[in-house]
Amino acid sequence: MVDIDLESIHKAFDDAVALEEVSLTVEDGEFFTLVGPSGCGKTTTLRTIAGLSSPTDGTVRFDGEDVSDVPVEDRNVGVVFQSYALFPHMTVTENIRYGLRFTDPPRGLTADERVEELLELVDLPGMGDREPDELSGGQQQRVALARALAPAPDVLLLDEPMSALDARLREQLRREIKRIQRELGVTTVYVTHDQEEALAVSDRLAVMNDGGVEQVGTPVEVYEQPATEFVASFVGENNVFSGVVAANENGELAIEVDEKAPEGHRFHVAAEDHGGHAGHGAAADTDADDSHVDEAHAVGDHVTFCVRPTNLDPAASQNRFPVALGADEYLGGTTRLYGEWAGREIVLRLPEPPAEDAITVGFDPTEATLL
Amino acid sequence: MTATRERFESVALPLAAVGTVLLLTVLFYYPVGRVLSEAVWRDSGLTAEPLAEVLTDPFFFGVVAQAFEDPSILWTAIEPHTFRLSVPFVDAAIALNYPFPDYRLGLFGFTAYQAFLSTLASVALGLPGAYVLARFEFPGRKTIRSLTAVPFVMPSIMVAIGFIATFGRNGVVNDVLLALGLPRIELLYTLPIIVLAHAFYDAPLVARVTATAWEGVDASTAETARSLGASPRRAFVDVVLPQLLPAILTGALLTFIFSFMSFAIVLALGGLSLATVEVWVYHRVNQLDYATASSLATLEMLFSLLLTYAYLRYEARQRAESASRPAPRKRLFGALNLDRLAVWGYVVVVLVVFVTPMASMILESITGPNGLTLDYYRFLVTRQAEAAEFQIKPLTAVQNSLLYGVASLAIAVPMGVLLAIVSTRDVPGSKLVDTLSMAPFAVSGVVVGLGLLQGLVFGTELLGYRITVTGAVAVVAAHAVGAYPFVTRNVAPLLATIDRSVVESARTLGASRFRVLLDIELPQVFAGVVAGAAFAFAISIGEFDSTVILASGSSAYTMPVAIERFLGRRLGPATAMGCVLLAVTAASFVVIDRLGDGRGM
Repeated sequence: MVDIDLESIHKAFDDAVALEEVSLTVEDGEFFTLVGPSGCGKTTTLRTIAGLSSPTDGTVRFDGEDVSDVPVEDRNVGVVFQSYALFPHMTVTENIRYGLRFTDPPRGLTADERVEELLELVDLPGMGDREPDELSGGQQQRVALARALAPAPDVLLLDEPMSALDARLREQLRREIKRIQRELGVTTVYVTHDQEEALAVSDRLAVMNDGGVEQVGTPVEVYEQPATEFVASFVGENNVFSGVVAANENGELAIEVDEKAPEGHRFHVAAEDHGGHAGHGAAADTDADDSHVDEAHAVGDHVTFCVRPTNLDPAASQNRFPVALGADEYLGGTTRLYGEWAGREIVLRLPEPPAEDAITVGFDPTEATLL
Repeated sequence: MTATRERFESVALPLAAVGTVLLLTVLFYYPVGRVLSEAVWRDSGLTAEPLAEVLTDPFFFGVVAQAFEDPSILWTAIEPHTFRLSVPFVDAAIALNYPFPDYRLGLFGFTAYQAFLSTLASVALGLPGAYVLARFEFPGRKTIRSLTAVPFVMPSIMVAIGFIATFGRNGVVNDVLLALGLPRIELLYTLPIIVLAHAFYDAPLVARVTATAWEGVDASTAETARSLGASPRRAFVDVVLPQLLPAILTGALLTFIFSFMSFAIVLALGGLSLATVEVWVYHRVNQLDYATASSLATLEMLFSLLLTYAYLRYEARQRAESASRPAPRKRLFGALNLDRLAVWGYVVVVLVVFVTPMASMILESITGPNGLTLDYYRFLVTRQAEAAEFQIKPLTAVQNSLLYGVASLAIAVPMGVLLAIVSTRDVPGSKLVDTLSMAPFAVSGVVVGLGLLQGLVFGTELLGYRITVTGAVAVVAAHAVGAYPFVTRNVAPLLATIDRSVVESARTLGASRFRVLLDIELPQVFAGVVAGAAFAFAISIGEFDSTVILASGSSAYTMPVAIERFLGRRLGPATAMGCVLLAVTAASFVVIDRLGDGRGM
């Protein structure tokens, strides 16, 4: 198993820049996710690691060794694509065996034993003689996974492997992929556009946007301490405010927000570490992204902060402001409400929609996160 | 050892590509270039004189040749003429007014005119077929759909024989009229019979291309129009028809190109009195007037290259996508309504146009003046034994055809597959290779024959050696050149549909690019390769245009050439030979039907 190091990868296509100065480190045995909207460069990054796309500039290292010029077939990576990409003229067994034509099976196993072992691993015992078109989408994807794992690759690369499956199957299969990855301890890079999925499966994740990396961190870090406005609104829902620091007293910033509201347009936000929420502060055991935490905010500085919909509470005593309610969506257990305050949209989460068409909510200064 | 193999694998494809290009140069570009140079090179100097001679000759360009002096004569060139058709059963003659060009259009004008009429006829005959194939369900629909690919492997001279057997002076139609005590009709050597024969070839093409587009029309587009208030007719005109139009135009453009370059049909059904450019080139070659032949061929080639380029450009812009939800098909068998009645009327027309010629040929081959006979087949056997030196031996023709067919296949299949690979790869120059390798589509068989005759059979000086090849080798070369685009056309689309991530998966598992080709790509397109091979064989078996030029005066004649020679004397032996040819062609069609899907053009 190896760790992966991408150093200032730059990729330009004929007409557009796909990646700009992407630098990432994936630890040995880690489940690492690249997440972002379509066109953000996550798939290009994955293809660069695989050797399917050669960067215009920059270096790819496996265990410190420069593999930028190693062709894909010699990189010892396993790739699973969204479209499964099974060889249609081969049976399940022949598909899984294909990589063993070029690499000996691990631990001195014979090819047959290796195929049996992998069919067990992906929970398809006895299916070896099937043709790919006799399998369901989920089964095909398991075969694709087994095929990628057969030569015991150093790195497992998964490119939106479950996007073509329905929601229930997706959740089941992602648990299974996670289990297999734990069992084998193979360094894994997973690409998805689904931020919920990224939070659910990753050891760490990189949020990408517009050809660059916005933030790298554990799911908790990324969710609780978004580094940029993009991350704040892409990962989970958020209400993002910006304004000017009017005072900085007792570890609290008084922020005059840009919206001109008749009342309450000055919000109080904890200036300290966002880990103020009990129990979450210790989660940051990596060195990723803690740059802005201890910055001093002087009066007159322009700052941005966000408050999760779940933290906007009608019972809160501070930072209260009135919200005119619009549409609501019942989500089972909670209701999402779209409202308006001072000409901007505010998203709320409440146990049930109030009877009135306006509500006053507030938030604790420690529940807001400075970006 | 491994290093050597890897070295070999990395150079194998480029080497093979270079070899193919070299072969193409020898078999196609050099010979055709010879024809071209003949037209612009005189007394070791570049000259426009031969071309100018043709361009300013009213015989070739009619009024256009003189229009530099008086443009107004262009407008008077086409005026309505009357074509009289005596109608059996009715004691009258119908006078059909149609704009018939006379000598004022010139040879080129007439060639374009007959191609235009053929295109109209093919579209008119083909569109109802597209409707039936795309919108109705009936037993045998798939078989009939694949039968629309048949004309491509139908030897043109055999179709001509079929039309003579049907509409000729002693053909089936006149036999029936005579038996009913009605006067004969004379259709041979008229423009309508040529147009009808071209429609026989090209209407199925129009039908297939259009039906494919029709099946690709998403039902919800028309349903949306209906829900917005459009009547069924309006929904069709506003929403469905625009989606079909590109396909109809594609079919029409191809039909025009094929009809413009058509040779055997015009030669056999029209003769010199209705000669097109192609027939006239052949005529000049027979008269050993190579200079005029080359000038004419050059001008024809320029025109057809231009048209083919337009076609390829147009076709590239529209790729058929399969519909997410095609409209459900109507049942053909059911209570008779206007729709079904019209379809049944069309079926009768189809039977007359498509089935009668082949049936008549078979019928004529076994009927003599005194009823049923096998005399004509017996003639083929006895002629084999008794033929004089200059006469054609029937069995030798069969043997030659089979031999050349296998040899052409052996050259055309690797060549076609390789070009398919190169053209679907994203490598520098693949577009150029694609275009250059499809050029034989645009160059007529007569021109290729003429080029090979002058370039290879007459011989070429190279490094002090005189290189000549025999007629048989030249015939195989011409057939291979005519056939390999069909292989490429059958293989390339299949290669292009292979999911890129399938190839990439194999690469990540450790396979080199060359191994991926052998292990993953070629096995998946195998059906296309076999279908392409069957096409190549059938093309070779039926090729007439270049063979008749290259085989003249040698023993390298084939079945189609034999048919044409027999045709000069009596219809009987020609139809018998036609039936033999039909049997061989049908056999290769069975292979195409089993393994391919008639994707080739």
